[in-house]
Amino acid sequence: MEKGYEFEKRFREQILKCSRCGFCQAVCPVYKATLRPALNARGKMLILKEVMDGKIDLSEELIESLFQCTICASCYLNCPSGVEVPEIIKAARRDMAKKGILHPAFLGMEKALRDSGNIYMDDEPDIEGGRRVDKAKYVYFVGCVGLYRETEATDTTLELLDRLGVDYTLIDEVCCGGVLEDVGLDMIEDLSKRNMENIFKSGADTVITGCPYCFRTFNEREQYGPLRDRGIRIIHISQFLKDITFDVKTDKIVTYHDPCDLGRHCGIYEEPREIIRKIAPRFTEMEHHHQDALCCGAGGGVRGAFPKNSIEMARRRLKEAEEIGAEVVLTDCNSCLHNLSNAKLRRQKFRIYTTPQLLVELMDQK
Amino acid sequence: MEIQGYNMPEDLYYEENHFWLRPEGDLVVMGMDDFAQKMAGDIVYVQLPDEGKRLKKGKRFAKIESGKWLGKVYAPFDGELVEVNEELETNPGLINEDCYGRGWMYKLRPDDMKDLEGLIHGKEAIEEWLLKDIEKYAKEG
Repeated sequence: MEKGYEFEKRFREQILKCSRCGFCQAVCPVYKATLRPALNARGKMLILKEVMDGKIDLSEELIESLFQCTICASCYLNCPSGVEVPEIIKAARRDMAKKGILHPAFLGMEKALRDSGNIYMDDEPDIEGGRRVDKAKYVYFVGCVGLYRETEATDTTLELLDRLGVDYTLIDEVCCGGVLEDVGLDMIEDLSKRNMENIFKSGADTVITGCPYCFRTFNEREQYGPLRDRGIRIIHISQFLKDITFDVKTDKIVTYHDPCDLGRHCGIYEEPREIIRKIAPRFTEMEHHHQDALCCGAGGGVRGAFPKNSIEMARRRLKEAEEIGAEVVLTDCNSCLHNLSNAKLRRQKFRIYTTPQLLVELMDQK
Repeated sequence: MEIQGYNMPEDLYYEENHFWLRPEGDLVVMGMDDFAQKMAGDIVYVQLPDEGKRLKKGKRFAKIESGKWLGKVYAPFDGELVEVNEELETNPGLINEDCYGRGWMYKLRPDDMKDLEGLIHGKEAIEEWLLKDIEKYAKEG
């Protein structure tokens, strides 16, 4: 039995604080999709306690439980004992990865990111538009999902920035690297350096991103400290757009899905709603919203490692949109957009897109 | 016919991105071939556009995804999308299980059935094309 796991050193007291009350089970998206107690936060804390007690060791058998967490933080925010489950899970994954125990979906991920610069190992970004200039006030940082999967959403966001006359530039960006830490690996310094060099070179004082995960990585991770040290602001597109007056309206029933990375992790709930309420008088919340919003199932590597359950989580979310009769489901995260769009059933006739996409559509209808 | 472990029925037509086509009356059934489904791994999503969608030869009309791979489905000819395999909505893994049977994807109506003639067909043509692609993808690793 290996001793001295980092997760234990850092979080032993936290794990022992879990009183097994089960509040987490009520809000865990993985549990709701699978109905397996070993997969909710309480189950994971019990497993880690067994590891700390020397009864079991971190092994391949634990991949299914410990890697099946979207890091949505619903459990943490609903835990009466305040157990920081997302950080504990990430630390345990890190201990596993150090032993070479990784979900197969993430084997070779570091090399792939070094070689290709994006999580999909794709050659070239698939976006069509966007402005590239030597110097600009803003850098627009797209993120991997927006560059390689939800390219229509990205093209439309760039179109909106163009129409607004924003002095921005795209850069030769590579993956922010944050996802590596989520799945137990180390961030790659070369990637963060390349991104920062390109941002510095542009002379921008603000980075706007449509990706809540990149937003968090730039604002929180040590590797991106030099950005913050130079006083460069990193804002989410919803923060940028909220003070702009858009002279457009829709009479459709519009709802909004809070991305975990933007909402629960960063507390950004109102900025997107400020924009949406101005353009959609029939804005309606789903049953779960703000801090209680259901996770779309894509985060924490779950979309890559457990796609079936990931889609099931997204379907549960879309059921709520259906229940309120939504005609438009907005979300300001390309990763959520991707998973929700993949999960949408053909009989569900609502549209799913980002707020910039709705804005441009309404502008075009004028 | 089996070519280096890939099942490639020789009565089918193939387009270069590894989708097979089979005439069925005035329609053409389309699906992913064995080589592509094995290369892609577990399929997790298949876009099923609305029936009636107009197809323009060479234009993308749907997407298909495995864990980390995104495939684009291009129209093999001008025509119309007539039917989709709705079972794939909840069970896209059918493509991996039975790519030439229950895992079929679309039924298309070509403007001109003769357009099939431009596709890869016949034992020799299939073999030559597949062997080249096996080599190409082996090089790309």
